[in-house]
Amino acid sequence: MATTAQNIEKDLTDLWKSSPEDKTKNLGLQRVYTTNLVAYAADHEEGFRVEQILNDLAEKHPGRYILIRPAADSTETPLRHYVSGHCFFGGKEKKVCCDLIKLVAQREVIENLYGFTFSLLMPDLPVEFWWPGNLPYQNVFFDKMAGQANRVWVDSSKFKDPLQSLARLSAFWHSRYPHTLLGDLNWIRIQRWRSLIAELFDGEWAKHLKDVNRISVAFGEGSQPTRSFFLACWLAAQLGWVYKGNRISEFPEKLDFEGPNGKVEVILKPVPVKDAKRDRIFAVGLTTGGGNSGMFTVVRDEDPHSVTARSEFNQKVSFSRVVSFEHLHSNQLLDVGLKHLEPDAVWRKTLHLMGTVMEKPDLTPLEQK
Amino acid sequence: MAAPILLENPLRQGLFADRVPAPCSLVIYGASGDLTHRKLVPALFDLYEKHLLPASFSLIGISRSKISDDDFKKGLKEALKQSEPQLSDSLWNSFSQNFHYIAGGYDDFKAYQALSVMLDKVDQENGTAGNRIFYLSTPPNVFENIISNLGAAGLAKEEKGFSRVVIEKPFGHDLESAQDLNRKVKEVFKERQIYRIDHYLGKETVQNLLVMRFANSIFEPIWDRRYVDHIQITASEDLGVGGRAGYYESSGILRDMFQNHLFQVMSLVAMEPPVAFEANAIRDEKLKILKSIRPFNEHTVYQWAVRGQYGPGFLAGEKVPGYRQEEGVNPQSNTASFAALKIFLDTWRWHGVPFLLRSGKRLPKRTTEVAIQFKEPPNLLFKNNVSDLAPNVLVIRIQPDEGITIKFETKVPGMTMEVRTVNMDFRYGTSFAEGTSEAYERLLLDCMLGDATLFIRGDEVEAAWDALMPVLNNWETTEPENDFPNYEAGTWGPAEADNLLEKPWRKWRRL
Repeated sequence: MATTAQNIEKDLTDLWKSSPEDKTKNLGLQRVYTTNLVAYAADHEEGFRVEQILNDLAEKHPGRYILIRPAADSTETPLRHYVSGHCFFGGKEKKVCCDLIKLVAQREVIENLYGFTFSLLMPDLPVEFWWPGNLPYQNVFFDKMAGQANRVWVDSSKFKDPLQSLARLSAFWHSRYPHTLLGDLNWIRIQRWRSLIAELFDGEWAKHLKDVNRISVAFGEGSQPTRSFFLACWLAAQLGWVYKGNRISEFPEKLDFEGPNGKVEVILKPVPVKDAKRDRIFAVGLTTGGGNSGMFTVVRDEDPHSVTARSEFNQKVSFSRVVSFEHLHSNQLLDVGLKHLEPDAVWRKTLHLMGTVMEKPDLTPLEQK
Repeated sequence: MAAPILLENPLRQGLFADRVPAPCSLVIYGASGDLTHRKLVPALFDLYEKHLLPASFSLIGISRSKISDDDFKKGLKEALKQSEPQLSDSLWNSFSQNFHYIAGGYDDFKAYQALSVMLDKVDQENGTAGNRIFYLSTPPNVFENIISNLGAAGLAKEEKGFSRVVIEKPFGHDLESAQDLNRKVKEVFKERQIYRIDHYLGKETVQNLLVMRFANSIFEPIWDRRYVDHIQITASEDLGVGGRAGYYESSGILRDMFQNHLFQVMSLVAMEPPVAFEANAIRDEKLKILKSIRPFNEHTVYQWAVRGQYGPGFLAGEKVPGYRQEEGVNPQSNTASFAALKIFLDTWRWHGVPFLLRSGKRLPKRTTEVAIQFKEPPNLLFKNNVSDLAPNVLVIRIQPDEGITIKFETKVPGMTMEVRTVNMDFRYGTSFAEGTSEAYERLLLDCMLGDATLFIRGDEVEAAWDALMPVLNNWETTEPENDFPNYEAGTWGPAEADNLLEKPWRKWRRL
């Protein structure tokens, strides 16, 4: 059967009609759509991984999902489609169903597939576009989708050259796609760290923020400290610091900022770790000067699922507590991201500040396109 | 619902869980009681797990039992393990590290002085910034005592931080006692410091009532006397009085369910749009509804109010005793375990529309819902083909299966003009995989945030009592019209409740 929007819709209708549960057990099959999610996978292997993630995600965000991937070889038909339904059981009845349309196409077809993709979306619902791999520089499909979607999700942990890609995002996103929000799963990964650090400065403790003069972020040796860099730039952006060093093209070990009470030193410190996920953050410390010398830390415990948050003044512990710490998988990161439809002003501010730290990117190829 | 966010901490901005309250201490009176173990501490733990509890948080439990801090914590931990069997020691230790206990009688002033000293110490050591919440989870007869002692100990003053008091139901036994209690509480706390709790208001669907009505434009135009035939509000329980016989004998179903839960739900269904989504704006509108309840008089109290008491019967195939056979119940008791009221609201919007409220114990199942039944179409086009069209009904299910159903007529596919009633269902569980929060979790968080929207104001309590007093007075001074028991356990109440329906097309919903 030819891949047309009509045929795909017909396949979907047949799929839901032929649900065996409906015929034999008379279980109510309820379909609810809350979103559209279009994902692009660069190859078969990534397609498999992305499909798994979408399947897990479907339970929490019922909607229409479209997965697009290039055909494995050039002899395959230019465009073919598969449809599938995903339902989850809750108690006695089915809950949360969604449908997935998989489009497999030759690369040159994908370039012009955005119009067709949009014709398959559920009307009136937000359109989320997830690009799980390296940030493309000259990709028509990405460009067109980014121009029309409500939000684009990238994962900077998958960028081959994170600094250059982030510099590009910082430089061109808001001018090129003024109506499209940008989300980064890597930014969501540090949310728990942000939350734990923020907790240390609630209430009367907030007064110490102006005295912070040193930040140290420990990450796994031999990995790219993208998340540590995010965390440092987030603190700088929220606390109104100005970058005073040279623009960087590689992750440095030290960054210099100017805070309200003078110089602030940020150390990105590689530490030897056993953890397989080396690019994770392992500890964060904020030191305050002024009259009160304080130390605010959030440190991973031996137990990988807990961290200790603590504040000390003049080497006396003021506050210490152990809290649970969950490492989120991609489906969980997307789940958190999709729950919030409003723009993330703090992320935008942080990305902007990162733009002042990183070397300015060369945008020529993209502009020419 | 405007919630104060910790904006003075710039690191809080943009965090998804930004409804985190300011540091505070929670003082629970009646800390060794059932509510603390079964509801309050699990709710606090859930907030802790969701990172919604402030980092600087202390809990101080107070009750008469002479136990140590460690024993207090041990009891809480054991109770929490019922709902959290996987609870690890490290998580519990972290959660409970600032839990303390004071043993003392509620009339023992020294215990209040000790509390004051402990609160200051906790503020110093744990950074709770002088913010205090006093939660009265005690029998109502000690409310006044606790409140006046808190006042005498200077604990109601808001010098450094906030001071709030949470009062559990029942708030008064009748209008006079509620007015008296309001007066006493207000001698110590200002109205804005008082949080009268009704856990029904913390339920997700009750809050969704407001969203459904005021965030959609399709319902409000038909939400009045022109389109609505009547409204049924049902809160049924399959359980009997259980261990609450002592309380129930002196309260009965009207005090237990109508004065608070059912009247609150009715006022949310019936109220006019508030000018803002803010505590007092919403409470002003609810108050207008409670004040608009047409007073029961010596005639209507017989026509519009039906009482019942269950006799022995069967529930899920199991034989259960009648009310009078329950332990602790007077064998000649005339306490009502079932009531159905027909209420008219004297407003332009609802003139002539009956609100049929029913609630009872030992009914076939536990359920709470609001059903808005619409009038028939003015001209029945299909009368040659269809003998009886079912009315359109919008059902808002509050528990246990939270959601909304719209019942409407549709054509059966085929060559003949057959019409069938279908349900269009929205269930929270099918649309959002995320579970709804427990009512106490929401209400505790709101109280810490200073958001009183889901709490009842003093004048609302008094208006509700005022509306109910003629029925209460009548029932307490007269014998039931038909001898009790007048319904069998496991059935939907006495047949007399049907008399309230008045019109042949009105039927109590079979739930």
